[in-house]
Amino acid sequence: MKPVVKDVNILGLANTIKDWLHARTGARFGLLTSIDGKQLVTLVLDPKASAAECWISEVSDNTYKTLTTLIPQSHWFERSIYDLFGIVPDQHPRLKHILLHDEYEPTFHPLNWQEMGKVGDKTDNRKKTPILSETLSQEKFVSTGAKREYKFLQVRGEGIYELPVGPIHAGVIEPGHFRFNCFGETILNLEIRLGYTHRGVEKRLTEIHWRKASFVAEAASTDTACANALAHAIAIESLFDLEIPAVAQALRTVALEIERLAMHIIDVGGLCGDIGFSAGAAAAGCLRGKALRMGQMLTGSRFMRGFILPGGVRKFAHQHIASMQKNMQDLRKELDELFELLAENQAARERAEKIGVISKSLAEEFGVVGVTARACGISYDCRQHFPHGLYPKIAPPIALQKGGDILARTRVRIAEIRRSTDVIESVLQSITGSEHIIKLSNDLPANQTGLAVVEAFRGELIHLLFTDGKGAIKRYAIKDPSFNNWTAISIAIRNNLIADFPLCNKSLALSYSGNDL
Amino acid sequence: MLKILSYIFRNGIATVANPCPPLEEDADGMPALTENSCSGTGCNECATACPTDAIEVSNEDGVGRVSLDLGACIGCQLCIDICPTGTIVRNRSTRLAKKQRDDLILTNHESVLANSLKRSYEADVKNKIRNIFGRSLHVRVVSTGCSACDLEIGACGNPVFDLERFGVHIVASPRFADVLLVTGPVGKGMRDSLLRCYAAMPEPKIVVAAGSCSITGGVHKNGYAEANGVDKILPVSVYIPGCPPHPWSIIHGILLGMGKVQS
Ligand code: SF4
Ligand code: SF4
Repeated sequence: MKPVVKDVNILGLANTIKDWLHARTGARFGLLTSIDGKQLVTLVLDPKASAAECWISEVSDNTYKTLTTLIPQSHWFERSIYDLFGIVPDQHPRLKHILLHDEYEPTFHPLNWQEMGKVGDKTDNRKKTPILSETLSQEKFVSTGAKREYKFLQVRGEGIYELPVGPIHAGVIEPGHFRFNCFGETILNLEIRLGYTHRGVEKRLTEIHWRKASFVAEAASTDTACANALAHAIAIESLFDLEIPAVAQALRTVALEIERLAMHIIDVGGLCGDIGFSAGAAAAGCLRGKALRMGQMLTGSRFMRGFILPGGVRKFAHQHIASMQKNMQDLRKELDELFELLAENQAARERAEKIGVISKSLAEEFGVVGVTARACGISYDCRQHFPHGLYPKIAPPIALQKGGDILARTRVRIAEIRRSTDVIESVLQSITGSEHIIKLSNDLPANQTGLAVVEAFRGELIHLLFTDGKGAIKRYAIKDPSFNNWTAISIAIRNNLIADFPLCNKSLALSYSGNDL
Repeated sequence: MLKILSYIFRNGIATVANPCPPLEEDADGMPALTENSCSGTGCNECATACPTDAIEVSNEDGVGRVSLDLGACIGCQLCIDICPTGTIVRNRSTRLAKKQRDDLILTNHESVLANSLKRSYEADVKNKIRNIFGRSLHVRVVSTGCSACDLEIGACGNPVFDLERFGVHIVASPRFADVLLVTGPVGKGMRDSLLRCYAAMPEPKIVVAAGSCSITGGVHKNGYAEANGVDKILPVSVYIPGCPPHPWSIIHGILLGMGKVQS
């Protein structure tokens, strides 16, 4: 997909965005970032028209007036721009570091071009991958002068206590820190501190040749490898004018749905585990294994790594289709059995109903996406609107619920598992032909913008890239669905019991590494 | 309740009896090297294609020599697909873990091969640890990367792989853990927490690195986050390659650490 690129004045940017969103039903604020620290980049999406606009607003003196007061969902975006580029959003209500911890120099801003020059000389000793960007500017790097420290929000009063959890959690899960302020067993406030798994993925994507980049994009969060590889492929392909072979489109769709299936199953399984329904959790573990096995039949790898590449898919073996279909039938039967048991489980209902509620209005205000949004009645699924794989042509109907609680999220997940199996079965049936990849020229077109919006299993995933005058990628931005949704857990858990937190957390199924990049 | 019981009985036993079998035919696995020499002087195609710079091709006396570091490899298959001489081939074994970092570096150079075989494996101290850990083991998992490695460790506990039958338990606290199982490349943000977790564990203790990230940083190596693997800050006893490693490979790695299997 190619966005319309425009220059927009930074003065009154928040109002310009608001007006644009107001004028179109269902329009969304996609992401906010910068290219090299000299400008803001705003991406706005109009799903109904399958359109996107990318606005470039020049920033002077490394600062601008915050958008967060008018557009609350930009709060984390502004914090990450502050960390990565050193641009200060003036009057931001809670400006704190989000990706870079105290271990980094306070003046270190890895994606700011002036700074990038320094880093490149110092630590980039990868042999065959020179930094592919235009001549770096010689201007002196401007520091924000702030000390890199982190202060948690304080809640005071008699009987109120603070409970720190993490970054290392009790289970086998990625790291992140939760700071609860509680009164008795009730949670008054939850602040989330992330950034522990920050690995510099976006910068690496500008250092490495684009042909190798899809493996890095996948590793942004390898549980979402397919969706990330697909988004990377589409963003690259959008720079060219090409027709991707039909077989490749079909196989990409199947891979994306297998990933959704496997991950939704494990999330339902985790829920079973948390309510003490061990037989369900064990069964879900096995069923996920069967979904992964299908992924392996298709791609050779359980996580389908390296399958989707710019231009098509890496391989295609007709003979595996029949065994995949057989596998799918068995899996569908076993899933039905499990869901039936779960539906009859009284404990599941009691633990999940009216717990961890997110209201539709707050979800809209904070731009919540994916299962969580659909569970509060927001009818947004990228498969309906933006081209990826065979979508939007064969997009399944949206699974909607109204409750906004754990139960609603589980129901959406189960409905989506069923619909994914439908999609996989029908697409597998219709595959004819064998051409599965076309060759792309080694050089990307210069000064272009590429975009992909994909419905990953967690929700809307955006990849946005800019090429420089020589066709090298000068900026690669990834917006993981969890970047929108982490705020949702703070909303959901407010005034709930601390004992309900693990279940609530699981029902939101958030990614740490996709957020931290 | 009855329904649940009947469900359990109907589904029977899912556990695979013999641990760590090779992968199925449709799996790609990781690369291995044969002793085939490269065509002429080494075409260098594989090294150019590799996204993690895991391969080095050199030319000794007019013969192409390849060395491939499984500790950096993410199993993307590009080098296997591209290699015209059959020097790099598919390997479906799940028994990939090694106790020495150097043993992960494969080569088609016979003299180097012989050298690595000659090297004596274990110090006496390690043997002692092996005897202590031989029966049962408590593992504290710390993730510092993406969740795919963690999901595969989670899968080790499901009925198919059933890690617990080997006496291995995943535990919530470092205070009673014998093994620190680390996934992910340990970027700057996690370094301090990881060291503190290690310090909280009682002696004797060993560290196992699972996944190419935790061995070398994988696709993230040498970036500004200095995410170059766990052995840069802690002594590692077992290395499990893969991105992510297959659950059988993880189990093999843990059993190797316990001295229950040989590499
Ligand atoms: S399979 Fe491993 S060694 Fe071969 S190209 Fe891929 S990452 Fe490099
Ligand atoms: S080795 Fe691969 S799967 Fe494991 S943490 Fe690293 S990128 Fe993720």
